[in-house]
Amino acid sequence: MKKLSKKRRELDVKIGLLHRQGRAKSKRIADYKKNANGFAVNAWVDRYRKKGLNLELSGNRLTIVLPEKLNFNSDLEITALNINAIRYLTKKRKVSHRAYRLGSVNFDYLKSISTSASLVLTAELSKWDDEIRNRLTPNIQNWDKDILVHFYDLGFFDLFKKKPIEIDKFKTDTSHSRRIVKYIKGRCGDDQKTRTLKTNITDMIGDQINKWMFLHGGLSEAIVNVSHHAYPKEYGFSGAEKNWYLTASFNTSEKELKVVFYDQGIGIPKSLPTSDLWEKTLEYLSIFPFVDRKKDETLLRAAVELDRTSTNESDRGKGLQDLLEFIRQRKNGCLSILSLKGLFELEVINGAESVRTDHFNNPVRGTLIIWSVFV
Amino acid sequence: MKTLNIGKDFSVDPIGRYRSDGDKRSGEAFREDFLKPTLQSLALNEILEIIIDDGVESYGSSFLSEGFAGMVKYGYITKEELLKKIEIKYTNEDFEFFKKKILGYIAAAKYNSKVYVPTQPYV
Repeated sequence: MKKLSKKRRELDVKIGLLHRQGRAKSKRIADYKKNANGFAVNAWVDRYRKKGLNLELSGNRLTIVLPEKLNFNSDLEITALNINAIRYLTKKRKVSHRAYRLGSVNFDYLKSISTSASLVLTAELSKWDDEIRNRLTPNIQNWDKDILVHFYDLGFFDLFKKKPIEIDKFKTDTSHSRRIVKYIKGRCGDDQKTRTLKTNITDMIGDQINKWMFLHGGLSEAIVNVSHHAYPKEYGFSGAEKNWYLTASFNTSEKELKVVFYDQGIGIPKSLPTSDLWEKTLEYLSIFPFVDRKKDETLLRAAVELDRTSTNESDRGKGLQDLLEFIRQRKNGCLSILSLKGLFELEVINGAESVRTDHFNNPVRGTLIIWSVFV
Repeated sequence: MKTLNIGKDFSVDPIGRYRSDGDKRSGEAFREDFLKPTLQSLALNEILEIIIDDGVESYGSSFLSEGFAGMVKYGYITKEELLKKIEIKYTNEDFEFFKKKILGYIAAAKYNSKVYVPTQPYV
């Protein structure tokens, strides 16, 4: 046996010490692989910070600081960015104790939020609250008063065990022309909850909604579509996750009624099958330039305008067309469908229809449907 | 003439295609439990009057196509015979829209194009 040199002995001792202290290179690699999720989360956070996400860090606890405006119109990208951050950071995963975790969402700087953005934000926080067994507590000390009253009317604070006290005193201090009904959360088979929406809207507006039956039909089909397509088994959704959310608002000065429906599923473009429908979809998509064919906006348009959906039977797939009928029957209004990175919008003015599609960088994870009419 | 009043005899909230969508209120339930047995009980040349608007808020396409066109799709009756045997009735003129849909789905259905497999109610 070769006699070890002094230098080699010292090196062996050093390596042995590193192993015992857990600082040896091989163990660091094992740690990295074991905690890959933790590092992936941290890398994700760094990436999204560069995209414009406002984050505060205390130890490994993150606070997402919401911007001044949230809406899916002029501020869609930043809105989707913040919503997606909440979704990603609250997703259950096994991570290192050193990985960043979401500690809170700061509403202090929020000054304006649309009906659809407030519903989606409520849905994401509701999902987070469900996952941590209802331990979220709101800190409203520095919230804008109009925002506070808006979320109170939406029923946002019903999510929490500890509700803010003395909310009534804020109501008289604000002047806001938009009224909103309490959001409704439902699952497959809960279609009768749409009657609650009708009652709430009628109370809010003080009158019946002309052609309501067609909106009711559209909402019923949206709920059925959620049960068929939004949460497929192969994506691992649990029963408790298969939810839909519904609300409505009325702008008293502009007389605009908005009804918003949202699900947190895989999105319409992803629900189109990769095999059965592809033959028909390719036929439809062949009219588009090659680079546009796989875009979410194109697939979304295909889903709405084709007479089949993922079940590929000729008498099926009219459900998305039902969504358009309320606007068509009233001959005025707008329907927007946002799903993943695509937008489909039908606008009807005095009976004349125009369709617009668009594509954005930050996806809406799920499907968001917005009906907008003047009453 | 026999009469089938969907709102009174079946449900004021018909919804969904299969029992797994809307249980007793689905198109499948309507077809299998109401429409098919009622049509089978008709005498020769007797017509079935179907009232579609008594208390019913509205219909979705899933319900109408499965409930009515399903009769043709699963081979219970040809579309020509079905269209001769039923009369769709309503008093609210907005329901003209749904009558057209029903007749359109029946006309577009392919006779005996699918084997009927009963579904289970959603739990």
